[in-house]
Amino acid sequence: MHLVRQIRQLNGLQGLRHALRQVSTAPTKPATLKYERDPQPLFTDAETQKLLQSMTQLHLDRVFRKRTVPDNSSEIKFMTTEQLELEFQSMVEKAQHMLQMPPVVKIKEDVDRIIAKDPALKDFADTKFVFTDITFGRRQSERKVVVRETDGTLAYASLDTTKRMNQLYFPLDGRQSYTPRMFALEELIAKCLTEHKYEYVMDRLLVQYEPHEPEFHNISARVFEHLNESKQFDLLRSTRHFGPMAFFYAWHRCIDDLLYDMIRRDYLQNAVELIALSYKIHNVPVEYQETLAKLDALHPTPAQSALTELRSGMRQPEGQQGIEQEIHSAIGKTEKDFTADEISLQFIEQYIASEHALKKVQLELAVQTLKEVNQEKLQLFQGLKKAHGIQAS
Amino acid sequence: MLPIARGIYSGLANITRSSRGALHTASSLRCKASETAEEKDAENAEGEAGGEENQSSSSGPDPKDRSKVIPVETSMRYLKSAAYKQTYGNDFVWTQYRRNHKGMYAPRKTRKTCIRQGRISTGNPCPICRDEYLVLDYRNTELLEQFISPHNGNVLSYSKTGLCQKSHLRLTVAVQQARDSGFLTYDVPFREYDYSEYYGQEQKKKDIN
Repeated sequence: MHLVRQIRQLNGLQGLRHALRQVSTAPTKPATLKYERDPQPLFTDAETQKLLQSMTQLHLDRVFRKRTVPDNSSEIKFMTTEQLELEFQSMVEKAQHMLQMPPVVKIKEDVDRIIAKDPALKDFADTKFVFTDITFGRRQSERKVVVRETDGTLAYASLDTTKRMNQLYFPLDGRQSYTPRMFALEELIAKCLTEHKYEYVMDRLLVQYEPHEPEFHNISARVFEHLNESKQFDLLRSTRHFGPMAFFYAWHRCIDDLLYDMIRRDYLQNAVELIALSYKIHNVPVEYQETLAKLDALHPTPAQSALTELRSGMRQPEGQQGIEQEIHSAIGKTEKDFTADEISLQFIEQYIASEHALKKVQLELAVQTLKEVNQEKLQLFQGLKKAHGIQAS
Repeated sequence: MLPIARGIYSGLANITRSSRGALHTASSLRCKASETAEEKDAENAEGEAGGEENQSSSSGPDPKDRSKVIPVETSMRYLKSAAYKQTYGNDFVWTQYRRNHKGMYAPRKTRKTCIRQGRISTGNPCPICRDEYLVLDYRNTELLEQFISPHNGNVLSYSKTGLCQKSHLRLTVAVQQARDSGFLTYDVPFREYDYSEYYGQEQKKKDIN
């Protein structure tokens, strides 16, 4: 009985291996949206980068969430105020580093580059030889890998071989030498997506594939498309994947759901930036620079707001400022915010009225509700100010 | 009629087995849980069998027999059932387990295996082996999560959980498989990008042109 079961298990394993082999030849379902031309110049543009970073936002508790890594130790120190200030700044810098966006590049085509053909070497060996340059300190992309085929041809190795050799001699932490089952089997990745494990899938994708590989484009596009349907954008906010996601939507003209989510969560500046990005990508003749400059003057950058958040943990000097701050914290908005909201709402309404918006009714409703809430808040704000006897500045 | 008979049966079973510890009450309860999952006809038949057993309560099914293979789906359902809740409460399956050993210090390693030739061969089987409805499989995430450290994400040592060596090996394999297939998430190492590696060469080319 036992023996029979073992045999059956072996059979089952073989069947599984067979299935895996079948699957590895046919990769996961291709996504419908692709970058049809090179997105690199637009993505690396300084303005685009700034917009994307601002949209990503910087929530420190999100970036420095507790991770299950081997070394999870913490240190307790006594510090002077100056030292603490320096520490805060280095913390924000570190967080910005953690939010580094993966590069968006187009798919690299594999080209045969033959160095020499030596028919004299034909049948010298019955296997091909791969030569890898393993000089210390060279970049992965610069490393030369050449192959001597059995028929005597010497050629540069294909991208796949190069990657494998690189992984063999200079392993990247977390990358597998085989295709993880999660990416190989269609139902497993579909399951991950329905369970909203977007960040996990994307994290793993970054480690497993290079940004110029077709699998990378395929799977990331699938994740973004699924996100656009499930509308759980908040799961990626303040992670390194938010920027490429917004860029993807802007590129493929489907920003409306993300825009709706931003308006609903009262991230009006981000909404304006998203619209500006899509205008920029598609060369729409609308002047957005002016609005952006105005908003920039009114709003702090993500790094600045993170710093103020850190500093707010410390005791503030008491005074007249106290009451005003209390009012701000009670309502959650300052005078500047109200003026910024007005400017951005104007810009957003202009977008909704134009022909670029696809889900007009939904967006209009969201804007309307937000306006009403804002109006109430403004009234409360003015009333409180009057009651406390603070003059409008 | 049926539920009453089943109640009497389980009560009797409890009384006869109460001296053997709390786990056997769980196993009788589990019988009930698995019954509900089966079809009506099967339930009828089992109810009759229960009735027969009422008359001869001493010769129940062998509690040490482990030759029957329990499917993972059953195990996954069991982990969500009331029977599981009653047995383990909110604890992990290994929290209440204590190893038996002579002297003050436990041997470094746990025993090699608890199950030999399809039967439990020890008086104090490990937390996985003692409960036949706990099946180690990569799809059974709810069970696997109980054996993963919340601090560093590793599989907990057998010196903490008390698993026998065979179960522990199966556990590590299942956890690896689950991570590979995306059933369990873990924190992927951070990858730093050198932008010039992807963009630098393009610019060089442009300069030449």
